[in-house]
Amino acid sequence: MTRFVRSVTLAAALMMAAGASPVLSAQEHGGTADVARDAVAPSSQREATENQIDIVHHLGNSHEIETPFGVVHLPRWEPIHIGGIALDLSPTKHLVFMLLAATIVALTFLLSARSVARAQAEGRPAKGFAGSMEALALYIRQEVVLPNVGHHGEGFAPYLLTLFFFILVMNILGLLPWGSTATGNITVTAALALMAFITIEVAGMRALGWKGYLNTIFYLPPGLPGPLKPIMLIIMTPVEIIGKLSKPFALAVRLFANMTAGHVLVLALIGLTFLFQSWLVGVAAAILATGIMLLELFVAFLQAFVFTLLTSVFIGLMRAEH
Amino acid sequence: MLDLTLAAIQDHAPAAQEHASGPLTVEGGLMFWTIVVFLLLLAILKRFAWPAILGAVEAREQALERQLAEAARDREQAAALLAEHQKLIAEAKSQAHAIIVEAKSVAEKDRALAIEKTRQEQEERLARARREIGAERDRAVAELRREAVDLSLAAASKLIEKRLDGDTDRKIVLDYLATLDRRP
Repeated sequence: MTRFVRSVTLAAALMMAAGASPVLSAQEHGGTADVARDAVAPSSQREATENQIDIVHHLGNSHEIETPFGVVHLPRWEPIHIGGIALDLSPTKHLVFMLLAATIVALTFLLSARSVARAQAEGRPAKGFAGSMEALALYIRQEVVLPNVGHHGEGFAPYLLTLFFFILVMNILGLLPWGSTATGNITVTAALALMAFITIEVAGMRALGWKGYLNTIFYLPPGLPGPLKPIMLIIMTPVEIIGKLSKPFALAVRLFANMTAGHVLVLALIGLTFLFQSWLVGVAAAILATGIMLLELFVAFLQAFVFTLLTSVFIGLMRAEH
Repeated sequence: MLDLTLAAIQDHAPAAQEHASGPLTVEGGLMFWTIVVFLLLLAILKRFAWPAILGAVEAREQALERQLAEAARDREQAAALLAEHQKLIAEAKSQAHAIIVEAKSVAEKDRALAIEKTRQEQEERLARARREIGAERDRAVAELRREAVDLSLAAASKLIEKRLDGDTDRKIVLDYLATLDRRP
């Protein structure tokens, strides 16, 4: 194992060195290189622009999807105007992958549920894939939802489980070839965080009642002398409101940034190949990108877990507030 | 966040016509769709998937809790029964003890009574024996006295056959014997 790792590292280092030298030599002999490039310019330069990777474009949303069979252009609809805001409801790349993720999650758990129900009827635990999905859902429920949400946390389990698996599948879809990460879009994570925010606040209202809930915004510690009360309210109310808003904001940015950063790193590493025009750099970049992809696979699970865990913790904190 | 939102609202019209938008643009349409898709997924899974998957677990959990509660109740009942039994045993013991004590006292009383009766009988018999002995003795004494009188009279008459005769002499002897009788 260690020998394998060592040899891979050595190979990578050698390739980096070997890949770097042709470029250096090309710069040294600038004149001849230019001549040579001009000679093949007409076809290769066009190819270069076509092969150019626009990282931001790749990561961002668009109205076309790249598939192995060419680019699919999605239909465009007229924006709907509600008040002064224009809502462009036409499908985009991220929406398509989000729908794909939702379909995968729905199919997985509908089939698992049927299998689990059948096993339950036969009086035995579910086996195979359904059993593992049950175990995964159970883990989230027992280790994430119930300890953090507090008493009667079962009611939040369906929301938090759906959240976890939806985010997880969206994260993973971005790692597939021609895939795209919907959670690498701030809009998507912001929408998820908005729903988390509403859930947290509504959970607080239901657990604390109106009076208790308002107390979390307009907080007056007991035993505060009368003249200090208005000062306390003026200072603390904005702080409390910022405290409430910063939680979903952090959720949205954390997920978006983690997803985007990994993809930028992979694309940048692969981009090195095109920058240096060397197959040795290409091999080294591919090895490094593979490492990053493994890390990204871990991060895909981790960030889905963290989003769910923090939402549970925030719900629990809100419900326990006095 | 605020900047992003504002930027999204302001730039939306041109952004929609542009080929693509950057990763930092907030698109109202996509946000709308995200919420719709998520809520739809939540509704479907909450209706059809989670009850079956979590229901199995919850049923298991409830069965366990029920069994635990039953076990606790059984244990309480057992403890109550044990206490009751112990009380019964203690009561039985004390009753037995009381019975034994009573029997003992009854026996004691009976024995005392029997002893008393025996003693009384004995005493009675003794007294009767004494009385009889006394009577016998009296009779023997009277007999002896009469014999003695007759013998002494016979002796005296033998001794002083001529002189001593008649009632006066007889009276003198009788008087003397009376003085003897008075002496213990």
